Amino acid sequence: MTYENSCVAVYDEHLRVQEALHILQKNDVNTTNLSLLGKGEGSGTYSTGLYTRGDQVQYRGAQRFFWEEMWRYLPGAAFFWIPTVGTVVVAGSLGAALVVALEEVVNGPDVLGAALYTVGVPDDSVIGYEKAIREGRYLLVVQAEQNEAERVHDLLLSSDVQDMALHLG
Amino acid sequence: MKPGSAFYEASVQCLMQSSFFTDLDQHVVEEMVGRCRRETWKRRRLLPMEETWQRFHILLSGRVRLSRSNPDSGRMITLFLLGPGDPFCIFSLLDGKPHDVMLETLDDVSLLSLPMGEARQWLYDHPEFNRTLLPYLGQQMCALAGLAADLALHDTEARLARLILRHVDEPTQDHPVIPRLINDLSHESLAEMIGSVRVVVNRQLQHWKQAGIVDARRGHLEVEALQELEKRAEEFRH
Repeated sequence: MTYENSCVAVYDEHLRVQEALHILQKNDVNTTNLSLLGKGEGSGTYSTGLYTRGDQVQYRGAQRFFWEEMWRYLPGAAFFWIPTVGTVVVAGSLGAALVVALEEVVNGPDVLGAALYTVGVPDDSVIGYEKAIREGRYLLVVQAEQNEAERVHDLLLSSDVQDMALHLG
Repeated sequence: MKPGSAFYEASVQCLMQSSFFTDLDQHVVEEMVGRCRRETWKRRRLLPMEETWQRFHILLSGRVRLSRSNPDSGRMITLFLLGPGDPFCIFSLLDGKPHDVMLETLDDVSLLSLPMGEARQWLYDHPEFNRTLLPYLGQQMCALAGLAADLALHDTEARLARLILRHVDEPTQDHPVIPRLINDLSHESLAEMIGSVRVVVNRQLQHWKQAGIVDARRGHLEVEALQELEKRAEEFRH
């Protein structure tokens, strides 16, 4: 199910993301509408990519174990190269929104914005989020009804979040 | 909002430029921003006050309209048109009650919000804030009094002229003059700000356009002859 409301939290390292996910799981937040976006590169000396082996999604790169753990929590895997942002790895349902944006909406630097717009994120916020991904940070995106999005926001205040906003459609 | 946020600096600067926070030390404004959460609301979002009065909001970008309507006739009157730096709802902050007002976003907006109780506590903790709060309240009361007087005492032409002039920064040497906040509103929205209807406002703007007083096109309004418009407002400005 898609919602026009979302809570977007920015984390500066993957350990903080894992802590945040544990908080959400402990408090019974539905992970079906939860997504994680990141740059997916480590040092720049690794070949990076996504592939499947059987029904397992595998990741080739510096953060292999982190992303493969994320895909176990958050069904849906995607890997893109987007102009002005670079590589973007996605765990969760937002990968499908990116594919729709690529196929139907735009084909250029605005593709991430188009995907985020579907979950209530306006253009002027997209610029900040693109920058965060480009600089190696992580976006945790929770789509939900307004009350649930507000609850998620309050729960994540106890995590070591760098930036967070509530986007209401 | 944390200082590490990509939106923190811009939020502090927006508040520092707002008349609501003017004269406050930057660290006091930063403390306020630090207590708030950042929200964005999509354009054309309609919110009854019951859904919003328990949080105090400060607009960072975009416009919000506060209005009342008659459900039987469908007629609407805009009480306040708010822009960046403006807070709402200031009356609920003071009396702790909801008010019969409808909120509508005219653009995608970004704003800061915090629970009304925390905002009230912040008010108690910073009595110096009253220096800016009281003049701001005075402006709001004057605006409402002006609206009431316009509706009771002036015809549509004068009301429309006065509305436009209230949104012109003065003194200005600019030519043509583009009014703040209202320059791209539909004629229907302008009508709702002066207690009229779209066709009347449209007709009046066409008259003025022919007389070279304004240039009014779809979604664009600018004043070409400010002094002539002031005459139409009966040379009485707020």
